[in-house]
Amino acid sequence: MNSTLSIGFALGLSVLMVGCASTPQQNASVDEARSAYMAIEQDPNVARSGSAQLRQAKLELDRAQALLEDGADINQVEHVAYLAQRHAEIALQQGKRADLEEEISSVEERRKQLMLQMKSNEANEARMEAEALRAEMAALKAEQTERGMVLTLGDVLFDLNKADLKDAGKRSVERLADFMKQYQERRVLIEGYTDSTGAAEYNQKLSERRAVSVQQELMDQGIPGSRIEVEGYGEAYPVATNDTSAGRQQNRRVEIVISDESGSISTR
Amino acid sequence: MKPHLSLPRTLTTLALATLMTACAGPGPKPDSELQSAESAIKQAEASDARQFQPVLLNEAMNKVADARALIDEEQYTQARRLLEQAEVDAQLAGARSETEKAQRAVAEINNNIENLRQQLNSNQQ
Repeated sequence: MNSTLSIGFALGLSVLMVGCASTPQQNASVDEARSAYMAIEQDPNVARSGSAQLRQAKLELDRAQALLEDGADINQVEHVAYLAQRHAEIALQQGKRADLEEEISSVEERRKQLMLQMKSNEANEARMEAEALRAEMAALKAEQTERGMVLTLGDVLFDLNKADLKDAGKRSVERLADFMKQYQERRVLIEGYTDSTGAAEYNQKLSERRAVSVQQELMDQGIPGSRIEVEGYGEAYPVATNDTSAGRQQNRRVEIVISDESGSISTR
Repeated sequence: MKPHLSLPRTLTTLALATLMTACAGPGPKPDSELQSAESAIKQAEASDARQFQPVLLNEAMNKVADARALIDEEQYTQARRLLEQAEVDAQLAGARSETEKAQRAVAEINNNIENLRQQLNSNQQ
């Protein structure tokens, strides 16, 4: 009884062994999976971020190899080789992605630095512009008042009791024209004033003519009329007493109110 | 010891051995494989594989559909293979999509940097 059983087993085993020996040990799918695995085995990115998939690829590869050597069904061998190869590529992709993520954070850092540099450049430019404006205003001898920057052309810049500008007055207006050419958004309001000597009507007319004279000079310098307003106030709004000659001289004047950068001017 | 063999016994043993080598049998219904494959497809979709890897994603989905048909016919071995493949196909589709997205992000930021640099240069001139 025992011997028949063992003979039977022996027979079965030999059939199995013959089967094995006749099976080819090479298979294209297994080879492909192996080279896919070997290509990434030493990849540091894969080691860092795809290690689980890499391990899986190795497991399936070994299994495919063992099945091949055992002469298993070729479909099963190729199936396992397929799994091995897929796992290897997934590991490769995960490694690539991790590498790209690192690159993203480094280029993002670079981008932020550039943004900061740009902001500070812009701030610098704005500061330099503001400084330049202050310098220009100072050169114009314009004064900061509650109505904005005001440039005063004194009586001495006009001919006596006339509206004509003297050369010194023209030079002042020329500087104002230069300023207005540089700051295109700025507008001006030219206001004429007189002292209280003489008829009010005469004074009103004189103040208007002096303001218009300055306007004309500005336009001669190339400033368009649309950027200039004129107003005559006559004896109104004295800045000093009309009881002394020094005071009266101060009251005879043309004030040029310079607008803000949006072009608006506060009128009286 | 008896000198001859009992023929029926030998035949039975042989038949058994043959059966065992031929195939391991259909095995249990591949329910867990089905679940894994479907969840891998969902994850791939969450990684925008529909946009970046539509062909591979479809392949995975088709394998699952075929596997379902095979399960109905109780061809579990073949169904299990398809499901195992569908799972790794979907995982790969998702992984490739993530790589693609990361690549695009790098390109976009670099583009942005180039614009900033040009602006800086033109401002300085």
